Amino acid sequence: MVDEETIRVVRCGGSELNFRRAVFSADSKYIFCVSGDFVKVYSTVTEECVHILHGHRNLVTGIQLNPNNHLQLYSCSLDGTIKLWDYIDGILIKTFIVGCKLHALFTVAQAEDSVFAIVNKEKPDIFQLVSVKLPKSSSQEVEAKELSFVLDYINQSPKCIAFGNEGVYVAAVREFYLSVYFFKKKTTSRFTLSSSRNKKHAKNNFTCVACHPTEDCIASGHMDGKIRLWRNFYDDKKYTYTCLHWHHDMVMDLAFSVTGTSLLSGGCESVLVEWRDATEKNKEFLPRLGATIEHISVSPAGDLFCTSHSDNKIIIIHRNLEASAVIQGLVKDRSIFTGLMIDPRTKALVLNGKPGHLQFYSLQSDKQLYNLDIIQQEYINDYGLIQIELTKAAFGCFGNWLATVEQRQEKETELELQMKLWMYNKKTQGFILNTKINMPHEDCITALCFCNAEKSEQPTLVTASKDGYFKVWILTDDSDIYKKTVGWTCDFVGSYHKYQATNCCFSEDGSLLAVSFEEIVTIWDSVTWELKCTFCQRAGKIRHLCFGRLTCSKYLLGATENGILCCWNLLSCALEWNAKLNVRVMEPDPNSENIAAISQSSVGSDLFVFKPSEPRPLYIQKGISREEVQWGVFVPRDVPESFTSEAYQWLNRSQFYFLTKSQSLLTFSTKSPEEKLTPTSKQLLAEESLPTTPFYFILGKHRQHQDEKLNETLENELVQLPLTENIPAVSELLHTPAHVLPSAAFLCSMFVNSLLLSKETKSAKEIPEDVDMEEEKESEDSDEENDFIEKVQDTNNTGLGEDIIHQLSKSEEKELRKFRKIDYSWIAAL
Amino acid sequence: MAAGGGGSGDPLAPAGVPCAFSPHSQAYFALASTDGHLRVWETANNRLHQEYVPSAHLSGTCTCLAWAPARLQAKESPQRKKRKSEAVGTSNQTDLLALGTAVGSILLYSTVKGELHSKLVSGGHDNRVNCIQWHQDSGCLYSCSDDKHIVEWNVQACKVKCKWKGDNSSVSSLCISPDGKMLLSAGRTIKLWVLETKEVYRHFTGHATPVSSLMFTTIRPPNESQPFDGITGLYFLSGAVHDRLLNVWQVRSENKEKSAVMSFTVTDEPVYIDLTLSENKEEPVKLAVVCRDGQVHLFEHILNGYCKKPLTSNCTIQIATPGKGKKSTPKPIPILAAGFCSDKMSLLLVYGSWFQPTIERVALNSREPHMCLVRDISNCWAPKVETAITKVRTPVMNSEAKVLVPGIPGHHAAIKPAPPQTKQVESKRKSGGNEVSIEERLGAMDIDARKKGKDDLQTNSFPVLLTQGLESNDFEMLNKVLQTRNVNLIKKTVLRMPLHTVIPLLQELTKRLQGHPNSAVLMVQWLKCVLTVHASYLSTLPDLVPQLGTLYQLMESRVKTFQKLSHLHGKLILLITQVTASEKTKGATSPGQKAKLVYEEESSEEESDDEIADKDSEDNWDEDEEESESEKDEDIDEEEDEDAEGKDEENGEDRDIASEKELNGDSDLDPENESEEE
Repeated sequence: MVDEETIRVVRCGGSELNFRRAVFSADSKYIFCVSGDFVKVYSTVTEECVHILHGHRNLVTGIQLNPNNHLQLYSCSLDGTIKLWDYIDGILIKTFIVGCKLHALFTVAQAEDSVFAIVNKEKPDIFQLVSVKLPKSSSQEVEAKELSFVLDYINQSPKCIAFGNEGVYVAAVREFYLSVYFFKKKTTSRFTLSSSRNKKHAKNNFTCVACHPTEDCIASGHMDGKIRLWRNFYDDKKYTYTCLHWHHDMVMDLAFSVTGTSLLSGGCESVLVEWRDATEKNKEFLPRLGATIEHISVSPAGDLFCTSHSDNKIIIIHRNLEASAVIQGLVKDRSIFTGLMIDPRTKALVLNGKPGHLQFYSLQSDKQLYNLDIIQQEYINDYGLIQIELTKAAFGCFGNWLATVEQRQEKETELELQMKLWMYNKKTQGFILNTKINMPHEDCITALCFCNAEKSEQPTLVTASKDGYFKVWILTDDSDIYKKTVGWTCDFVGSYHKYQATNCCFSEDGSLLAVSFEEIVTIWDSVTWELKCTFCQRAGKIRHLCFGRLTCSKYLLGATENGILCCWNLLSCALEWNAKLNVRVMEPDPNSENIAAISQSSVGSDLFVFKPSEPRPLYIQKGISREEVQWGVFVPRDVPESFTSEAYQWLNRSQFYFLTKSQSLLTFSTKSPEEKLTPTSKQLLAEESLPTTPFYFILGKHRQHQDEKLNETLENELVQLPLTENIPAVSELLHTPAHVLPSAAFLCSMFVNSLLLSKETKSAKEIPEDVDMEEEKESEDSDEENDFIEKVQDTNNTGLGEDIIHQLSKSEEKELRKFRKIDYSWIAAL
Repeated sequence: MAAGGGGSGDPLAPAGVPCAFSPHSQAYFALASTDGHLRVWETANNRLHQEYVPSAHLSGTCTCLAWAPARLQAKESPQRKKRKSEAVGTSNQTDLLALGTAVGSILLYSTVKGELHSKLVSGGHDNRVNCIQWHQDSGCLYSCSDDKHIVEWNVQACKVKCKWKGDNSSVSSLCISPDGKMLLSAGRTIKLWVLETKEVYRHFTGHATPVSSLMFTTIRPPNESQPFDGITGLYFLSGAVHDRLLNVWQVRSENKEKSAVMSFTVTDEPVYIDLTLSENKEEPVKLAVVCRDGQVHLFEHILNGYCKKPLTSNCTIQIATPGKGKKSTPKPIPILAAGFCSDKMSLLLVYGSWFQPTIERVALNSREPHMCLVRDISNCWAPKVETAITKVRTPVMNSEAKVLVPGIPGHHAAIKPAPPQTKQVESKRKSGGNEVSIEERLGAMDIDARKKGKDDLQTNSFPVLLTQGLESNDFEMLNKVLQTRNVNLIKKTVLRMPLHTVIPLLQELTKRLQGHPNSAVLMVQWLKCVLTVHASYLSTLPDLVPQLGTLYQLMESRVKTFQKLSHLHGKLILLITQVTASEKTKGATSPGQKAKLVYEEESSEEESDDEIADKDSEDNWDEDEEESESEKDEDIDEEEDEDAEGKDEENGEDRDIASEKELNGDSDLDPENESEEE
């Protein structure tokens, strides 16, 4: 059915979320973040991804809301385009082609038709801030080549640029100086921290900058953990700065709140600090955020903050410093030692997560399930500290057992090693430590494997180590008269000529154990632990070792460091075939005979899928990744696919995932992109029709009615009913902050009175004036509303000349009377 | 997948709370509880995903809910060779959830945005909504109510598309046919409607009580020879309030047969039903029925025609608490819902209370007729949306865990008698040895008794005590003997002890050596004596190697750290001697030191000032020294306590580095051990 389609490599899940500052929508309902070539739109309430905006052909480097229309979003990318999106529906509106690599994007409300971007034109490391004029055009793709230069020699990072005081100036920091460019004067002032100090402290380089939204104040963060607030910088000589110091290490990011009353800062302490009134005394903290804060952003409405962290998560924080939501991607903070595993119980992908943790990641829902704290020690984030690393982990017996190895090596000779065996407790649905083994080996453990044969009655674990031994651990009954327990004990220790044991694996039925000792593979009987035979090809140390499965269970495969893949026949004890292949990853499929090998060459990585019985591969895909592939794993499918074509049959029962050196998780897909991309028209789109509230009955219905009336009587009748939003009392009630309003009982009569018509007090002339006043006040009204007001004004003006007094219809009068009678006591009770 | 409403007073209202798994991958479980809250749980990690309270949740409680068919989302794009695009994994995102309320309105809730999406009111029901069904393809929604009507909604526009009278009494349940062209409704009778014309196509008898669930069980007719018109030949299932029978009906071409084809019997009223559709004739239908009594009944049956006898379940699943202690009996935990996973081989079970359910994936084993799962749900209590910043689970690490350190048996493989060919001989010898030992034991006891009579020295009672202690394994008795510090006494006791107790004593000593380092200090003395005195006896034992294997391993692992410890020891000694030496030299030289030439300047005041300052600093220095010295002494003491082997250098305070070599040299246990090994 899918014969004409080809297998493609696709990214799956866990992409980077913390590359740039996240941006909030104007109503704080959504949050946007760049993620590779995409922009992701998340809901701030549910942490769910609402849309993925795709269209860029290279890394997206910056996003900003359109200051002129807050329902639109600009994004810029290394592919040299700026795109304008409608984020609610996920539609690309326009593409502006700039032509050079864009590294960051800034918008200023005052500069109406232009945006600012960081580009590097001539030399690779010299970056410039330019203003890009976006021409108005109706076409989808517009060339925007009109660049005007603003600042030169700036830092590449967008954290080092900030626009201040409604776009009057722009501040940029680099190394030891702060430069401020004033748009009106077109001059640049440069402030340097004195050089003698630089030598003394050596670490007060600038790291980030933020500008006060309304005042002339610039905050800069430094390497030594200090925050400096610069004032009076219009004058080159009289400028002042004050210091705020709490961070013990580099200040990673700074942000002012919307009103400018408080400053937020964060660093590797993973504590968000809020400096109230820019004084050192008034500090508020939100500690224990889990990882280094990389970016801080503030919602335009002012009610939410968000912090992006180095462990690939975004935390949404309320104004009162309470975390409200966490958007967590695949943790990519550290190198992966454990490789990729599948938890047989939850079918989740398991790998190293936070320091000392194993992360469980659901591939189906592309979400992190949880982190399992294995080491259970407080992580101290300090430079140069040697941490305990979780180096190996394995699941055994259908997920009932988990073995983990942690090590800490400060010097060559001082190795701390610990192996923990965790039992899954069905009653409490969690892991419980069963056995802890200190120094299971004298040297690092190189491989760890459970015997996963179905019939084996006794759980067995094998560890291979550089100390030249492999140990077999079995589960034994440790019951005594006090309690019934089981525990792991060492059953057998094997070695071969003092060579380092490098790999181990059990055959499918668990009857044989293969252990590789550098260049030599040894086969052991798992019942008597006798050495059965050895294989040696003298082709370098064995890097990977695995048995064939199902019909190919008589074969043993080994990949060596010298780039030879060998297949031995266990019945004849002879080499069946070998091939020259520099294998980096070799993974057997648990559901079939297939084995996937990824080889590394100078141009990239290639995939080979083969059966051990035949030296000819079933499937080859060249150039799956330009980077080195580090780990791979077959994930059994819940529902088998039915590819008939021979080349894709290996994907029928399992899916192959692999992880590259830069820690991106990739997989193979046969589905064409068109099939996966459903056009928005095909989606189930439901109209939003929200329920009626008491206010709707008072205001909305009124207006609706009014509108209908307008349409009906536009030609011949003057409408004199006051528009609800133009009544001062109503607008006052609706627009004044709740805490400054007088009591509702006081307002009630005024409010109700204002809704009634009185011919005496309101002449027709007053109405347009009112409207004008309101318009000036309500500068933030949406376009729609403005239009509406204009429309009404028009009708009023036209009607004025005719001077027709409006007569209320009977029904309208009735309705108004009804309003009078309605019990408004509920308002007082509010 | 609709379930019954949460009516309280009405005796004919279905039992159980409305709940449903999200379609496709069952990533979420939505549950509308009787307090009016809608809660959505993540099935994979049993975490409360979101909670929503409709504005009118007290008057219009949720009576039924249904997930919209999965919204496909564009989530993937090809990887280009130049620069990889960050395409994201494929997942069908489920979003809208339709809630029917007791007042007749239908709410559409968006789980992605976490807010009410729209409210279907105008022109709809004016009484309790009983069931909601989404159409698979067209984006339509069907609802039925106590007001006897069925309404077809256009969800795009949020408007009523069609409304017709479905029955003479309230319509309680709905189901859409697999091809999407027909609709089943259950009121007083079960009716099959043609959706296009809204005409009744077939009638079925139905149940005596309101039907709470309707479901198509097959998507293909059993007889494939006939042309298939989309509905004829299909089976469907119905369950009703207070009815312990689930009926299966077949849609037939002729309009005669109105009664049920077959039925399934369960133990109580069905609350939640899930099934796997059979796609071909051979594949059985798997049915999971959650009953009001909290059990799940599993059926596996190939539907083909009549069956008079009601079928009983293939498997029953129950969940119970472990029952802490001996007194409390295990209590059953009610199962709220059960859904088949997409692989059809495992079942998602939701159990516990509805405000804090636990969701677990259970693999199905069709062989067992009864499964009782023991689960402890007492500690999972978190009735709030989890805003924990890091989703960290801490596995339990308690003191009951076994700890293996080097030297403890089990850390290293036990030493086994290696040569198998000598086994026979050995066993013979062993048996002989055993006989001898019994005699010997008897003899020894006699001798002991006699000895006891003869001498009243304390040393004599020690061997007796020891023997008795070893035989009875009396801890106190052994303590009394083994905790002496008198070397002579130990020697004498070891000399006089009967031979057969040597091995038990050694084992006891090994056990104690593994324990606290302090006790090991004493045990080493005993061990030394035993090995020196009874070396000849031990060497005659054939199974000496396995007998003393653990002891040997223990020694070896302890000796390994010996070098490091002695390094430390040497360093500390060096430090201390340096400190004491400097102290001495200071004390000795400072008074006797006289300047050979004194040049006095006129300003003598300054000098005196300097002197005073000097003195001060010296005093300080002395104090510091003393402190540090005392600290170090303590350190050393500790060190030596731990060091079981290095006991013989207890007076190592005033030594210099030269002693380090000696230290390495006279680890007297090592050679002995080796000699014993042969």
